[in-house]
Amino acid sequence: MKRETFIKSAALTAAGSIVMPYILPTGRLFARTGSRRANHVVFCLFAGGVRNIESMQMADGNLMTNTLNGTAPISSDIAPGMTALPQLATTRLQNLGTLYNNFSYAQGPTGHYNGHTTAITGKYTDDNIQIQQPPPYPTIFEYYRKYNSPGSALNAWWICDQLGPYPYLNYSLYPGYGPMYGANMIQPATIILGSGYGQLGHPLSFTNAQNSQCDMVKSFLNGQFKVPGAAAASGITNTTQDAATLESFINTLLTNAYNGQYNNPWGPTLDSDMLNIFFGIQVMQKFTPELMVINMTGIDIGHFNYTQYVDNIRKADYALYKLWEAIQSTPGMANDTILIVAPEHGRNQAPNSAIDSYGRYGLDHTNDTMSREIFCLVVGPSGVVNQGQTITSGGESVDIAPTIANILGFDTSIPGGMFDGSLLSQAFI
Amino acid sequence: MQKQSFFFGLMLTLFMASCKKEVQTIYQVQSQVLYQNSAQKTNLKTTNQFISIAYNDLYNASISTAQLNSLNTCLEAFGDQATMEDIIIKNLLDNGGVSIPDSATMMADLPTFINQTYIRFYNRQPTGQELWKMQNIILQPGSNINPKMIYYSMLTSTEYRYY
Repeated sequence: MKRETFIKSAALTAAGSIVMPYILPTGRLFARTGSRRANHVVFCLFAGGVRNIESMQMADGNLMTNTLNGTAPISSDIAPGMTALPQLATTRLQNLGTLYNNFSYAQGPTGHYNGHTTAITGKYTDDNIQIQQPPPYPTIFEYYRKYNSPGSALNAWWICDQLGPYPYLNYSLYPGYGPMYGANMIQPATIILGSGYGQLGHPLSFTNAQNSQCDMVKSFLNGQFKVPGAAAASGITNTTQDAATLESFINTLLTNAYNGQYNNPWGPTLDSDMLNIFFGIQVMQKFTPELMVINMTGIDIGHFNYTQYVDNIRKADYALYKLWEAIQSTPGMANDTILIVAPEHGRNQAPNSAIDSYGRYGLDHTNDTMSREIFCLVVGPSGVVNQGQTITSGGESVDIAPTIANILGFDTSIPGGMFDGSLLSQAFI
Repeated sequence: MQKQSFFFGLMLTLFMASCKKEVQTIYQVQSQVLYQNSAQKTNLKTTNQFISIAYNDLYNASISTAQLNSLNTCLEAFGDQATMEDIIIKNLLDNGGVSIPDSATMMADLPTFINQTYIRFYNRQPTGQELWKMQNIILQPGSNINPKMIYYSMLTSTEYRYY
């Protein structure tokens, strides 16, 4: 071997032996810079505008008996309007974590989409928010995937209970981010029980060998076609293998629906909030995602029907505890998940003129002080989250996204100034 | 004489009744505009167009507004649009009423099947190379490719998303 060749080979070998340990199994050259507090975060947006008067202060009784300590009975005038719900929790969620009972949605219009966007991006919004396109600032999903798990979108999920603008929250328009880092999104009620029921669920099925042959045909066909210009964005893209897994999952859900397995699976008749949590649990148990955001919005009936608003708070509380139970019974997530719960905003102090059959008046949410007062609950393992602690001041909606980034260990990778808020440090040991 | 007159009158009546103006039937080939090649396809189909055209191509009928809205809503409700389109296509293919030749028909005249399939879904004829290559793929040893698999592959291919 010539000397030059030997020296070159030796130099390359030396360089490779230095670099190789840093090429991670994920293919990333650099590991995330922080350490994790837990490997999973579930963030529940609760649940369409809740006033602290009804939730934290229990003005009509303890409406969240699975979440909050307290035995105050439901006000007698509206008690007949309540749905019978079994008590689930022996240890209420408040005792399993830290409760911020004077949390704040401090800035921006007190609209549902504004509140959702703020919680998911860590940035306050204004009146110019566009509801027919993704948000302008990166979502927590994109931060997570860009600095953690760029390979698979199955680790990040947005389970939304409505169409309209909410599906847009799985990625943003911010340069350098976007759909390639977005979350998988599903509005399950539509696909499994609504429009999809009867239209889908009877798909052509291929064997693995047939799928391979179809892929071969498709590969040839696609190789013959030159995509004109830049291909239009069509939402997030899963890998071929992940897409097949997703299809199989959707088909399983549809088959189960046709077999009647989703007819009141919890016993009580499921409202839309409960259904969204129920299907979110199916997603969680299948994919054990590291980051899942899920919402409920049924409490917004409060505009027109106060008593139903109260009852829906109770149902949302029931569904929330079902979610926690599922987390704690899912291998891989049990005792390694932090559940964060917060309303997107509150409701006005003064009622409107809509009176319900129990003589109570409706509540709007139009930027008054009380519509900015919310709570936030951080639940998690006892060695990670301070248990049974109540923080009586401080904390804002914009703190949730950076807190999630800190829990999953990628907060220091995010460029400075991207968040309006900061870590909810008091929640953690 | 009277009997002769009667029969003459009957014959005349029958003759007049049987005289009909000859209807001229003109047979025409329904014209279909075909693309010369795939490079002419530069526009991405909207989701409405994609579903409507796929339905029409498979069932030779227009999709109802209700069904179109339902399938469109399913697309809105899922973040990975390509995967949901795949699910929709598989469901359309598996419903009754789709005219798909069986494997024996396909194999009896493979070039014609490929040609007709390209016209059906791509609105163009295959190039010579495409025709040759598709035949090779279908005929390769161990291949069990059937017409449904070809239809599925074309309906979910990139070219099918453009017009």
